[in-house]
Amino acid sequence: MKPPEGMFDESVIYVTRQGAQVQVDGGRIVVWDVDGDEGELASFPIEKLDTINVFGGVNFSTPFVARANEHGIVLNYFTQHGKYRGSFVPEKNTIAEVRRAQYDLSRDEELAIAQQMIAGKIRNARTLLSRKGVRGTDVLKDLGVRAESDTTKDDLRGTEGEAAERYFHLLDETLVDGWTFEKRTKRPPEDHINSLLSLTYVFMKNEVLSALRQYNLDPFLGVLHADRHGRPSLALDLQEEFRPIFCDAFVVRLVNRGVIDHEDFRKDNRLSDDAFKIYLEKFENYMNEELTHPHFEYTVTRRKAVRQQAILLRKAITDELEMYHSLTFTK
Amino acid sequence: MSEELVNVSDLNQHAYCPRRYWYLHFYDTQGRNYERIEGKTKHENQSERGNWLNELYLESERLGLKGKIDVLDLENGRTVPVERKRAESGDYYKSDEVQLAGYCMLLEDHLDEPVRQGAIYLYETDQRMHVPITEDHRETVREQIDAMQSMTVDSIPPFTDNPKKCEACSAREYCLPEETARLEPKKVRGTGWEGRI
Repeated sequence: MKPPEGMFDESVIYVTRQGAQVQVDGGRIVVWDVDGDEGELASFPIEKLDTINVFGGVNFSTPFVARANEHGIVLNYFTQHGKYRGSFVPEKNTIAEVRRAQYDLSRDEELAIAQQMIAGKIRNARTLLSRKGVRGTDVLKDLGVRAESDTTKDDLRGTEGEAAERYFHLLDETLVDGWTFEKRTKRPPEDHINSLLSLTYVFMKNEVLSALRQYNLDPFLGVLHADRHGRPSLALDLQEEFRPIFCDAFVVRLVNRGVIDHEDFRKDNRLSDDAFKIYLEKFENYMNEELTHPHFEYTVTRRKAVRQQAILLRKAITDELEMYHSLTFTK
Repeated sequence: MSEELVNVSDLNQHAYCPRRYWYLHFYDTQGRNYERIEGKTKHENQSERGNWLNELYLESERLGLKGKIDVLDLENGRTVPVERKRAESGDYYKSDEVQLAGYCMLLEDHLDEPVRQGAIYLYETDQRMHVPITEDHRETVREQIDAMQSMTVDSIPPFTDNPKKCEACSAREYCLPEETARLEPKKVRGTGWEGRI
């Protein structure tokens, strides 16, 4: 089976050069070194891009922003160290019918979608652990079954929390010597592993956000995560199933292969500037890495697989499909 | 309130695949924009020549149709609408004939005289092919208009009966016929995708 065409593999670019300006030149997007004298740093055909992520002091020319609007290109702003600040979203990026269907979802329909996402997350957690030879995942299996039969969102959140605690406890066993994972801490991450996990979740959340926007769903109206001003709840919901199998697996790989080590962190547990550049490059490669799709059997990049989930979510919401089908890997 | 007039070029979309038209109509996707823009550029590049009249816009409440005829040609005193197509295969589709029939019907409504043939011009082969418009064509046009006017966002048309059409379709990436056949086989029951997995 061949993958559907039309989604471009290199549709996301990252601009990290401080003082650079993003401009347009005919049909291309050009990253220009305005502070220094290096001139053109990179250029991309405009119709291929759908997302540009910029870090820190990067500027956009006004004609560029106009063109981004025209072509439906989303701009995401991060601090130099990868903390998300906000986005520029093109005006045409709404389809009333999709939004209406999304807002019309009943509690039960939301619960049904959330159950698939959480059950998928637990399934993927087990798969990651078993790929790494970690035993004792039977409790997770039971929790996965429970997720699918929970009758309220609160129960489902409880099941998810319990599974996460069990899973993170076991995740420690997947790490090479010199690294430990005690417990998940956020705001601020208390150790290097937690710092890498947090960073990766931000990046994945951003992938999911772009995907939801591309397929015209409102990322701020969730099915499980509580809606809070400024929080992209639906992106967080859809991200759940990718956390273990894509995010955590990526962090484990970085650490176990020695790509990132303890010396790469600053005192506040953030990556040093050089290490952050390496991280970005590895993340980008990872998202463009191909794998065999577990349900469709053709080869897709991780990025494409994530975007297809946004389409499947939309189909579940607009009743084109009976239910949401999460991306689950069983081995 | 009168019903919305159907665009003749959309007759083609609908004839090709009602589900594709449903996406383009209600979801106004990028695939549509792309084709529109490219088609437009091609037309603008054509200069006016001799007995040709370029780009005639017509609408008819009676037929429920509106549309722009690419070229009107005078051949031996008869008016012939010409529709220009890109077709890598070197041939046009059945759905192109339906579109052409729509233009002929619009034109005869406008001129108040019968228009019994149109022509399709293919860029690739630089060929103009004459197509006689039959009663079958007209009936198809009327059926399509009826189906298109009664289409709603909540009534999703089935997948195509001919999966070959999906290969070149820009809506495929979010229509996902084959993927649907795998995930929810009953959704493709009775369509060309049934039993293909």
